[in-house]
Amino acid sequence: MKSKLLLIAVSLMAIKATAQQKHTISGTIKSKAKGETLIGATVRVSGGGGTVTNEYGFYSITLTDGKHKLEYSSMGLQTGQLEFVLRKDTVINLSLEDESVALGAVTITGTSTKRSLSTPQMGLEKLTTKEMKNVPVLLGERDAIKVIQLLPGIKSAGDGNAGMYVRGGAADQNLILLDEAPVYNASHLLGFFSTFNSDAIKDIAVYKGGMPAQYGGRLSSVLDIKMNDGNNQDFGVSGGIGLISAKLNVEGPIQKDRSSFLVTGRRTYADMFLKLSSDSSLNNNKLYFYDINAKLNYELGDKDKLYLSGYFGKDKLGVGDLFGLQWGNTTATLRWNHIFSNKLFSNTSLIYSNYDYTISINSGSVNADIYSKIRDYNLKEELQWYPSSSHSVRFGINSIYHTITPGQVTTSETSQINARSLEDRYSWENAAYLTDSWKMSDNLSVTYGVRLSTFSILGKGDFFNLDKEGEILDTLHYKKGEFVKTYVNLEPRLALSYKLNTTSSLKASYVRNTQNLHLISNSTTSSPTDKWVASTNIIKPEISDQYSIGFYKDLFNGDYELTVETYYKSLQNQIDYRDGANVNSVSNAIESELLFGKGRAYGIEWLFKKRVGKFNGWVSYTLSKTERQIDGINDDKWYNARQDRTHDIAIVAMYQLSKKWTLSANWIYYTGDAVTYPSGKYQIDGQTVYYFTGRNAYRMPNYHRLDLGATLQLKKRRRWSSELAFSVYNAYGRENAYTITFEDSKEDPNKTVAKQTALFKFIPSISYNFKF
Amino acid sequence: MTMRYTYILLGAALLLGTACEKEIDLNLNGNDNKLVIEGVLTDIKGDCSVKLSRTKDFADDNTFAGVSGAKVQIFFNGDTTLLAETTTGVYTAPELSGVSGNTYGLLVTVDGEQYSSTCRMPSKVLMDSLSIVEEDLFGDITKVTNVSFKDPGSETNFYRFQQYIRGNKVKRYYVRNDDLTNGNDINARLYILGEDDDDHEYDINSGDEVTVEMLNIDASVYKYFYSLSNSATGENDSATPANPVSNISGNAIGYFSAHTVEKKTIVVP
Repeated sequence: MKSKLLLIAVSLMAIKATAQQKHTISGTIKSKAKGETLIGATVRVSGGGGTVTNEYGFYSITLTDGKHKLEYSSMGLQTGQLEFVLRKDTVINLSLEDESVALGAVTITGTSTKRSLSTPQMGLEKLTTKEMKNVPVLLGERDAIKVIQLLPGIKSAGDGNAGMYVRGGAADQNLILLDEAPVYNASHLLGFFSTFNSDAIKDIAVYKGGMPAQYGGRLSSVLDIKMNDGNNQDFGVSGGIGLISAKLNVEGPIQKDRSSFLVTGRRTYADMFLKLSSDSSLNNNKLYFYDINAKLNYELGDKDKLYLSGYFGKDKLGVGDLFGLQWGNTTATLRWNHIFSNKLFSNTSLIYSNYDYTISINSGSVNADIYSKIRDYNLKEELQWYPSSSHSVRFGINSIYHTITPGQVTTSETSQINARSLEDRYSWENAAYLTDSWKMSDNLSVTYGVRLSTFSILGKGDFFNLDKEGEILDTLHYKKGEFVKTYVNLEPRLALSYKLNTTSSLKASYVRNTQNLHLISNSTTSSPTDKWVASTNIIKPEISDQYSIGFYKDLFNGDYELTVETYYKSLQNQIDYRDGANVNSVSNAIESELLFGKGRAYGIEWLFKKRVGKFNGWVSYTLSKTERQIDGINDDKWYNARQDRTHDIAIVAMYQLSKKWTLSANWIYYTGDAVTYPSGKYQIDGQTVYYFTGRNAYRMPNYHRLDLGATLQLKKRRRWSSELAFSVYNAYGRENAYTITFEDSKEDPNKTVAKQTALFKFIPSISYNFKF
Repeated sequence: MTMRYTYILLGAALLLGTACEKEIDLNLNGNDNKLVIEGVLTDIKGDCSVKLSRTKDFADDNTFAGVSGAKVQIFFNGDTTLLAETTTGVYTAPELSGVSGNTYGLLVTVDGEQYSSTCRMPSKVLMDSLSIVEEDLFGDITKVTNVSFKDPGSETNFYRFQQYIRGNKVKRYYVRNDDLTNGNDINARLYILGEDDDDHEYDINSGDEVTVEMLNIDASVYKYFYSLSNSATGENDSATPANPVSNISGNAIGYFSAHTVEKKTIVVP
């Protein structure tokens, strides 16, 4: 481990002070090479105590006057040390140097910081860029979301599915934030890629339990993604060319040290090859996506900083002129950091988020466009207060105005379809929270807090009363701006950690989460046209109470880490579908297709990780159970939720073969999802119809897959560095079931057969990445 | 028709050309041999029939497992017609027909258990014409059957079509409502999607005879066939495959439909 000692002499004005007097050290920590602020960098005080930087690189720590030695460290960067005598409030801004100065070099020398055993936060997974870089992925496109799914408790929804399941939660129960803006559909190209361009990402944190009170609105996880600010030291360009996509990243200072910009773009071009095809069923089709991330930041002074960041992405799919589908997210975030004092930090955010899709049908006499969207305007104000070295307090408010357009049909004049639309839905979500991290003793820390959330459903619109069968009893009309219903929920949050000794600790947490936006998708596969629906008078807020206990152990000098966490979740107001539900009906009363009940999920997760050395990686294993009990389904008995998977294993290995070559491999295995298969069959009108006896009573075949990757570092010139990345997805060609269908046998129509479709079998890829 | 399924496969195929299909063995448990009722009464004499059968195991053959010795009655106001078993499990009344606007009752008694249903025969909407049009489907110019008719604006209508090509009944469910098309001139295209390229059973060629029956059905029968085609044909990826929503009460599955029928045949030009 190359850890250069950085000694800075700080001369301080001599002020008369008693030994008991306390003063505050505060400041911002950045990386020296790029000037990026560092999130979660550690400030350690010799002789005990310390703090970490917040999401804007700011820290504040209050110590008794006297001589102190501080150590500043952050993953992948050299550790900085500082000795001085504290006599008055002091600002110390620091830049940490890269561990390896060479750009693009794979440095498997380990990171300077170990994970923290003493913070109460549990259920948190962080990803380093190194892990993101070397894990082999489909078609060579690095994808943070896919790597996250190799961690325990976080499961991919399967090939060709965008969603992920966290601790038994459904795909819509993850709060996905990009620079604080909620992203409603995190997938490109029908789930093959995520919307997050790894080149633009600075930090990824996944909370699968023990969410701090500043997060709310989804039941099972928070995926908090922060974009790079842009290099404020030097102008830089990097990019990559792969088999199906290309990307480019440009960043640089606007004013050195004070302001910078970043623009990152990607586009796939697989469809261009289609044009070359002579097959008319292929060359008329469209299938591509592009996305752009952009960010600007500007320091107004020592105490104020502005950030403007945005994302724009679009997917287009077209089958000749017959059928078209396009969808995309747009987000924008304007943030203002203000340092009120060395103990009080404020951030104000104005956030816009929009997701929409358009389906165009152009067949014969049916010409219609169906448009749907969910749009948010969002205001956040948060204050972080560091009253003493043992407390750090956050409190804030959040107010979001949602507009949902469930389906707006427009037609041409000649179309036989009547233009008709579902009503727009309006809602207003508010939250206030307060949380305190308290270091009670050297061994015991606690974070406790509360979040008060309200959700108001607003007019104009029609709402309904339904009978037991889901038929409309009466319709309630509301005027514009009228309150239909307000739900109020108090969400306590508590997390404790107890350090058993220098290498191990125990943690426990309890968290309540509520959710008022629900994704309606009556399909085993995810689709861009799945519908977001807000709570109504009938759809109640979903509520989750999660209890979790964990054990953390560092082994062999901290080269290895063992994590065991277990959880139990109790869920209320869960949603499932009536038998034969039609969620695409043109009725405003979507509730008539739904049923509501409770759920429970429990499991145990193991993670064994080798952090350092030429050979590193991890093994993760999850044993879990997820069930629902909803009156009207399976005779009102408990049944498996779709995402129930008993076993889930991931093995990830990376090996630095030489200075030039890095090899990697991962293998995953999981129990097939719970699905509904027929138990029998009969004839209606001369055709075979299948007979079903229970929802989710069967299993998909078990899934397993091996991926291999290799990275070759090419010759470096002064500023120019480049690499070739090779990968093979599904190396042994396992045919994993995407769907299973049932039909009369082609050979013998008097028999029925089950047929499985697999999407990916052995996909090699190569891509070229460069940087200067 | 599940568009989503079609397009994701298309997506995978376009991207990588790797999607692959194979038959697999699944251990599908036995079932409880439930009674299946398929009751039909139309405005044409000789069409009335009630078929009784039982569900079979997945691994069994597809032959009709008729239930004999049942008592099958159709009611209208005070009149009762007892149907006679003509072949095993098939009960008919050759002289019975229905009239639009009337509500008919069905009562089936098997082994002392009773199953009943009612259904209203809707008003009859006539075809304006039956034709064959050519359309570009996924890059192939394909002949498609087209039924033209005028949907009455004054009422809610539900339709079902049956298509025969060269005398072979097309194994597809064609149902539609007028939610988005009320009062309009309709061109209903009876697409045959999801066939393999090398399967020419339903290809329409010049000189072929194509027959279409247009049925006006009751809302409950529309719901039955709609939910059947959505969730019980075994073809699609619905998360909630389920038995169709039946209009029969008692512990049986199936439907009872009182509907009007109009039949037209053309020779493909």
